[in-house]
Amino acid sequence: MPPDSGLALTPTAAPRGASRPTDLLARGEPFLWGLGGALGFGVMMIAGFLLLVLWNGIATFYPRPIHVVTLVNGDVLAGEPTRTESFRPPAAEVAALPPSTQVTVATKLGFADRTLYRTGNFDLYGDDFRWVTDYAIARITTPPDLYLFERLEWGPFIGRIKSVDLAGATFDAGGIPLERLAVAHDEARRRWRQIREIEHDEIGRVNQQIESERLALRKMELGAGAHTPEYTDAAGRTEARVAAMTREYEGLAARAAALKAENARYTIALADIKGREKLLPLAEIMRFYPANDLSIFGKLGVYVSRWGEFLTAEPREANTEGGVFPAIFGTFAMTLLMVIAVAPFGVITALYLREYATQGRLVSVVRISVNNLAGVPSIVYGVFGLGFFAYIVGGTIDEVFFPERLPNPTFGTGGLLWSALTLALLTVPVVIVATEEALAAVPRSVREGSLACGASKWQTIRRIVLPRAMPGIMTGLILAMARGAGEVAPLMLVGVVKLAPELPIDGIFPYIHFERSFMHLGFHIYDVGFQSRNSEAGKPMVFVTTLLLIALVALMNATAIMVRNRLKQKFSGSQF
Amino acid sequence: MNHKSALAAFAVMLTAPFAVAAQTVNLDPALPDYKQVSGVSGSIKSIGSDTLNNLMTLWAEGFKAMYPNVKIEIEGKGSGTAPPALVAGTAQFGPMSRPMRATEADEFERKFGYKPVAMRTAVDALAVFVHKDNPLQCLSLQQVDAIFSKTRKGGLDKDIKTWGDIGMTGEWAARPISLYGRNSASGTYGYFKEEALANGDYKDSVKEQPGSSAVVQGIASDKFAIGYSGIGYKTADVRAVAISRKTGDTCIEANVDNAYSGDYAIARFMYVYFNKNPNQPLDPARAEFIKFVLSKQGQQGVIKDGYFPVTAPLVRNDLKILGLMM
Repeated sequence: MPPDSGLALTPTAAPRGASRPTDLLARGEPFLWGLGGALGFGVMMIAGFLLLVLWNGIATFYPRPIHVVTLVNGDVLAGEPTRTESFRPPAAEVAALPPSTQVTVATKLGFADRTLYRTGNFDLYGDDFRWVTDYAIARITTPPDLYLFERLEWGPFIGRIKSVDLAGATFDAGGIPLERLAVAHDEARRRWRQIREIEHDEIGRVNQQIESERLALRKMELGAGAHTPEYTDAAGRTEARVAAMTREYEGLAARAAALKAENARYTIALADIKGREKLLPLAEIMRFYPANDLSIFGKLGVYVSRWGEFLTAEPREANTEGGVFPAIFGTFAMTLLMVIAVAPFGVITALYLREYATQGRLVSVVRISVNNLAGVPSIVYGVFGLGFFAYIVGGTIDEVFFPERLPNPTFGTGGLLWSALTLALLTVPVVIVATEEALAAVPRSVREGSLACGASKWQTIRRIVLPRAMPGIMTGLILAMARGAGEVAPLMLVGVVKLAPELPIDGIFPYIHFERSFMHLGFHIYDVGFQSRNSEAGKPMVFVTTLLLIALVALMNATAIMVRNRLKQKFSGSQF
Repeated sequence: MNHKSALAAFAVMLTAPFAVAAQTVNLDPALPDYKQVSGVSGSIKSIGSDTLNNLMTLWAEGFKAMYPNVKIEIEGKGSGTAPPALVAGTAQFGPMSRPMRATEADEFERKFGYKPVAMRTAVDALAVFVHKDNPLQCLSLQQVDAIFSKTRKGGLDKDIKTWGDIGMTGEWAARPISLYGRNSASGTYGYFKEEALANGDYKDSVKEQPGSSAVVQGIASDKFAIGYSGIGYKTADVRAVAISRKTGDTCIEANVDNAYSGDYAIARFMYVYFNKNPNQPLDPARAEFIKFVLSKQGQQGVIKDGYFPVTAPLVRNDLKILGLMM
């Protein structure tokens, strides 16, 4: 640890008031300053990075005002100002400006400012961001009747409410009963969620049953043959069951259709700043608010509701909007599974290496190999995982246990289990090294005491050594977890995908679906940051997701540290 | 160059004239409407192009809204990953932003005994982007080649290293051109190499980015940069330069009309490949997905993702080949 080594290097302080000049270098102080400086620099870098992520992540969901910008040439636009930058306009453009503006530009040494406005309305304009130069602006207003609508599709709409149709009761601009609209909107959203529940959970269950019936029949066909009496018998029974399920499905679909028809009766007509209209079902608006006429509580309400959506909803619009719940869940489930896999392997290996193996050349070679394993690039593990786990092991599992599903692979492709095992391989050296250190730190006297009392070697290890080494082992697991949760490169090969709304754990037997592909926060960051259509709109999402990933890793580590501290306390008084 | 002739044929097939503004793209009104059918379930997995990644996701979302229990997974790490996935059977659909190479199709044929089938799902004008403050208006294909390629098969005798080399003055003249491109697994990389560099080699100084959006972000933060990627990734920070086929020819903007007419030199189709046994009909989940993609609803997603939709004659043609009716 740096502070210790720093202290060790400091010579005993010269007696107070000593007049004899001492060489600064001999006292080692410059060295100490260097160490302190390096530490400070490191801490500052980390703090700066965290602050950057924190600030950008936290500010993203706060509602911004909407400016209506009238340009000198008469054009009008409405949008949220997102950022401003300074630039040097081309000389020809400046020369064409009126003299007074030319003077302003000249006083700024030829520079001018411009602002990026998020204009939204992608379906009307074909783009959703626009740069506006300062000197092109005639005036900026913030009218209170401008709304921002977050839509299910096409991104935000910025404009006014033109008219509302609430199941036959129509209202025009000016006479819109906002409270009634809000209530109708809540109800429409509630129905929308109901539809999703029916479609996702209930129809999902029925479809799953139909699929498993089909697979069971196919299995029988593969086993007994298609022309045996048993098969014909089973086929008849399956058909009857499938027919019953199909009826159930139709009932559910009809319920969903009725709700959809009800929702179609509530519509809202919007108009953008230039009066171009857009008719929308009320249910397709996530939320809307008058951006320039919002109290601080209103703003906080929007802020909290956006965070809520982000944490609990599924992604929409190719992952650029909506939430990241499947990714949070996938990251968490995969990391947990990895810890479950890595803990026994790492601890058993270390136990054997330290307690049983004869310390000699072979053990040294094994140790060196383990340490080198920690330095192998993670993508190599990914390739190994894909080749060995997915193709060889998974392929064999498919042939033996799931022949009825072929040629569609079940385990023979990337999935949750293979990802967890690949990461377990990646992190096992950390656990081995930490466990060995922890075992070595258990005092010899304790073991000898136990052996002297007549305990066998295994009894000593199990009852005396392992409990005392537990805090150290936990440290190893914490390090492994932190490394595993932040790793993305190998996962891209063995099971992480862009879109997999199906969670790996759900209410359908066998509840944990090890073979499913999953979403991961780390990959989500990469995807939104480097792959999304609109990188401008994606950028804030990258910060928010990064913040979330850091928070998740910190949370998991904190839990593990708490467990470790409790273990430490348990044994703190029992040292000889 | 079979896709070039395909595009030319497409231009001929184009019957309805397009009344399109500079910015917004409209759907061909003759495109078929998608009608929901019953009894569609199963799982769909797509592995392939990252340029088409968002588009596939949008289609998947739309399809899932209609058939809530079709299980869909999308993976996109480059067009080069599509053929092996189709051969191994790990994916039902393989989106590609370039046509499949003969060697890739042969690999597939060796295993199944027939060639993979493709549908044309969207049109992209591969754009050459510069920073928004860059006054450059037009480049010829030869100049593009000399900027990006070290072998210069396009025919220009002089290397282009600085902005001054293509005639820009002032602060630009002495500044070196900073190059952004895609990584080699990408279909965009392959297509640009084939069409713009005449199969020449990229310069070593091209900064290879992991995604099309990363190329645009690179150019947005580097005033002296140039790069290529799909027109759908355009942001307010970059500008697409007009391209002429030869030095001195008319400059063609990368917009929807020019992509349809084939005038824009580096316009391309975006394909989705799949495994269809010629003697068997497609299973319902895949058949419906294909119909959905080629319908009005599916093509709406193409506009949403910034690309250009295909037109009705083309769709009819593709569906006829597949033996699907709509």
